[in-house]
Amino acid sequence: MATTEIRGIGHSVKRQEDARFIQGRGTYVDDVVLPGMLHLEFLRSPYAHARINSIDTSAAAAVPGVVAVVTGELLAEHNLAWMPTLSGDTQAVLATDKVRFQGQEVAAVIAESPYIAKDAVELIDVDYEPLQAITSPQQALEPGAPVIRDEKEGQTDNAIYHWEAGDKEATDRAFAEADRVVTLDTFYPRCHPAPLECCGCVADVNPATGKATIYMTSQAPHAHRTLFALVAGLPEHKIRIISPDIGGGFGNKVPIYPGYVVATAASLLIGQPVKWIEDRTGNLISTGFARDYHMHGELALSGDRITGLRVKMLSDNGAFFADAQPTTCKAGLFHIVTGSYDIPAAHVSAVGAYTNKAPGGVAYRCSFRVTEAAYCIERGMDILAQKLGMDPAELRLKNFIKPEQFPYHSALGWEYDSGDYATAMKKGMETVKYAELRKEQAARRGGLASPSLLSHRTRLRRIALSGSAEISDCAGVPS
Amino acid sequence: MAEAPAVLGGATTRPVTVTVNGRPRSELVETRLLLVHFLRQTLGLTGTHIGCDTTSCGACTVLLDGVPVKSCTMFAVQADGHEVKTVEGLAGAEGLHPIQEAFREEHGLQCGFCTPGMMLTATALLERSPSPSEEEIRWALSGNVCRCTGYQNIVKAVASAAGKLAGR
Repeated sequence: MATTEIRGIGHSVKRQEDARFIQGRGTYVDDVVLPGMLHLEFLRSPYAHARINSIDTSAAAAVPGVVAVVTGELLAEHNLAWMPTLSGDTQAVLATDKVRFQGQEVAAVIAESPYIAKDAVELIDVDYEPLQAITSPQQALEPGAPVIRDEKEGQTDNAIYHWEAGDKEATDRAFAEADRVVTLDTFYPRCHPAPLECCGCVADVNPATGKATIYMTSQAPHAHRTLFALVAGLPEHKIRIISPDIGGGFGNKVPIYPGYVVATAASLLIGQPVKWIEDRTGNLISTGFARDYHMHGELALSGDRITGLRVKMLSDNGAFFADAQPTTCKAGLFHIVTGSYDIPAAHVSAVGAYTNKAPGGVAYRCSFRVTEAAYCIERGMDILAQKLGMDPAELRLKNFIKPEQFPYHSALGWEYDSGDYATAMKKGMETVKYAELRKEQAARRGGLASPSLLSHRTRLRRIALSGSAEISDCAGVPS
Repeated sequence: MAEAPAVLGGATTRPVTVTVNGRPRSELVETRLLLVHFLRQTLGLTGTHIGCDTTSCGACTVLLDGVPVKSCTMFAVQADGHEVKTVEGLAGAEGLHPIQEAFREEHGLQCGFCTPGMMLTATALLERSPSPSEEEIRWALSGNVCRCTGYQNIVKAVASAAGKLAGR
């Protein structure tokens, strides 16, 4: 019988997947068991930067239950020692010439049980010649720094990219003519998404059909199918990527990792399914991180109006440029860093460098230089207000893009289609009773910010920020 | 170069009998086999998860004689002669356990990976403290990590389950 009851939007709906999760009946990658399945375990590099003189796998190969020991040399025979990254670079699947970060995959044991594989990994003997490790982008770009990616033709330093946006001359002029300039230097440390389930896969290449079925912890199965096709030389219709239940990702399960590739290559060579399940240490030291960059920001002011913004970003990309999206970092920075403010002149440069750290910049919980860029401009506004002895809300209200200015073209080239930031912020201020909080602050601390008020100010600033991010997303983030 | 571990080529094995979810299970296991691998690999009970390998995250929590233990840091042989309850043993003939109903109703989960450990820790809490305060609930769950960050609803779910159990 038809019902007139409204359903869907605005109504609470129970999730379909919960029934299996609360009964332990989900299927995560490590729950997948196939007939004849073998297990893969990695030997990882103890050095951040070292030349590999030799790898002796004979003792490992002799362990009962070990089916194969895979090295970069073996993969190279099949043109699989290197793989493309999502950012147009290459990344070692298993190290051949050098190891370039601590925890890098050096060799893999394929065995009948994970315990046997772990035992055998202990027996692989690698002769390393340690090299100087580069651990910061500043160090990486110093003249004479050891070249991390010396295997790349034409690569004579550790520079990866240098992107710029905006008008440099106009910005320099704005700063030369400014009444006041404030600067801030921020280091956004490397962090890890750390989903509760580590990465892993079960690769099943059927030697009879030539088709590959790969169960993997993937947040991007379609992109991964394309990459597998590129690496394996198989047409896409012969590759099936199954992303079953996933125990959290937060960006960490977007990149392609050597484990997926080696398991697939091993399955192809051996003719049996191969399971690779990472342990937590492997996940933290080798897979996609977020942030890790330095940002220098400057704001120029004439009277109480901002006239210029200058930002220099220096990014630590690790040993291989494997950002999960090649443009989002820079574009994210360029379109957010002017915030919701009418800034007539701006110039931003973004420089990336190789270091001896794990590769793979990811959008940790969807922030790909977006929250960091927002922090840069909003913190800059706060510092500026403090220097002027002006209320930070008042400074913002004076500098917001006005409703009649839309569609607005930012100095960095982005179009903002619509907005009314002053009205939104005033509503926020009324909601938190901003004026009363200021009075309370003055009464309690004689004009100095109290800890309790600081937290309210943070909330207020967030209200302004979220508007900024959303408007800019509408302006068009390439994603 | 590391020497070959003593177990190579002749792993030490021992018979164990563990009562898992009410059913006695007798198996010959390597003495170094972790309880979580015994449950997941030997018995095929994959509802118990592995998140950190280091007793930190609580995804592998099971009940040993009613007490929550992290099964990634216990050998199967240590469970010999004991009773283990896993998430697969929570529901009974009368249907879902109240803690399971409550997790679903209160949206106490997202990816579901931490959920079995959370629910087992919570049932042990409710067994010894039928109407816990919020602080007690949070303290009891402090050894279980949720990376999707759903703690608010997990706490609500445990409180709701306490109410359901009291009403039975």
